[in-house]
Amino acid sequence: MASGGKKVLIVGCGRLGAMVTKALLDRGDEVVILDLDAENFRRLTEQPGLTMVLGDGTSHDELRRDGIESVDSFAALTGQDTTNALAAQTAQVTFKVPHVVCRVNDPIRQKMYEELGLRTVSPSKIMTDLVTQALDA
Amino acid sequence: MFIIVVGSGKIGYYLTRELLAAGHEVVVVERDSGRADAARDEFGGIVISSDGTEPTVLGEAGAKRCDILIASTGADAVNLMACQVSKWSYQVPRTVAVVTDPANVPLFKSLGVDVTISTTELILATMEEGLTGGPLVHVLQLHGISPSGASAGIVCVRIPPGSPVVGHTPSELTLPPGTVLAAVVSREGEVRALADCPPIEANDEIVAITPPDREGALWQALTGGA
Repeated sequence: MASGGKKVLIVGCGRLGAMVTKALLDRGDEVVILDLDAENFRRLTEQPGLTMVLGDGTSHDELRRDGIESVDSFAALTGQDTTNALAAQTAQVTFKVPHVVCRVNDPIRQKMYEELGLRTVSPSKIMTDLVTQALDA
Repeated sequence: MFIIVVGSGKIGYYLTRELLAAGHEVVVVERDSGRADAARDEFGGIVISSDGTEPTVLGEAGAKRCDILIASTGADAVNLMACQVSKWSYQVPRTVAVVTDPANVPLFKSLGVDVTISTTELILATMEEGLTGGPLVHVLQLHGISPSGASAGIVCVRIPPGSPVVGHTPSELTLPPGTVLAAVVSREGEVRALADCPPIEANDEIVAITPPDREGALWQALTGGA
């Protein structure tokens, strides 16, 4: 994993988004995290290098305000596949962000977006693999 | 034709009614059970109460033999995914997405959505029509996309009194390069082919095809900037 000093924009401050944010801050990255629900920011504490923004991660205007044109990486990590797919494709196609990751829960849609050129992660797929392995062990 | 409509909100509901009245075969997919029930009361068994972005649901809706899929929900993200899934999983020949944020129009086109309809732009166009004389009204955006990412569209211009084209036949007009006239519709509603069109009169409407960057010049040529 590349280490530190990068600017990263994250959409979705659920459990996954918050944990990824903490991990990136720990290794020295600068993180802007967006969520539509201010309640979700309780998962994080204010600290240098972290900016929490109440806003829509699928809106071009919002993303531009949050500096998407100068970030190194972008991760769409909400619980909604539809929101993540729109946000990630906006980042990749419209704003040409160098590294884009999209969370996709549904396995068929994950395969589709991989073939369409998006880098995807599927928590449900990863968990399924881990649970199956654990049962076999 | 066989058409799948995703979303039975205000747009999807009336769209479905009109499509059925026009004799098309329609299946509606609506995730919200309340809205699905309301649609079923009106349209009967053609309504599926489920998520129209799920590949299996679209399969059950008959996406494999569908001619057009129209994603009409109020959420741009849902409409994009419904179009992408139906194209990728079922090779639906024509996908149409309703778009709320105009910034999504070029994005959706480059992501393979065949037709995007921006409700915001439609309202703006209609508003301009009410405000100024002889506006340029966007009728339809065409399928092909030029290397610059823009696609030509069919537009309509009502000729104001005092326009320099009044009294001239279409063949006498000098138009911006790359633009083509398609027909003249007289103020009585008579459709005229260009070849045998009498001189243009005020309040005739001219239907033309133009790339977006020539719209201003075309409008100028037809109205004289009125």
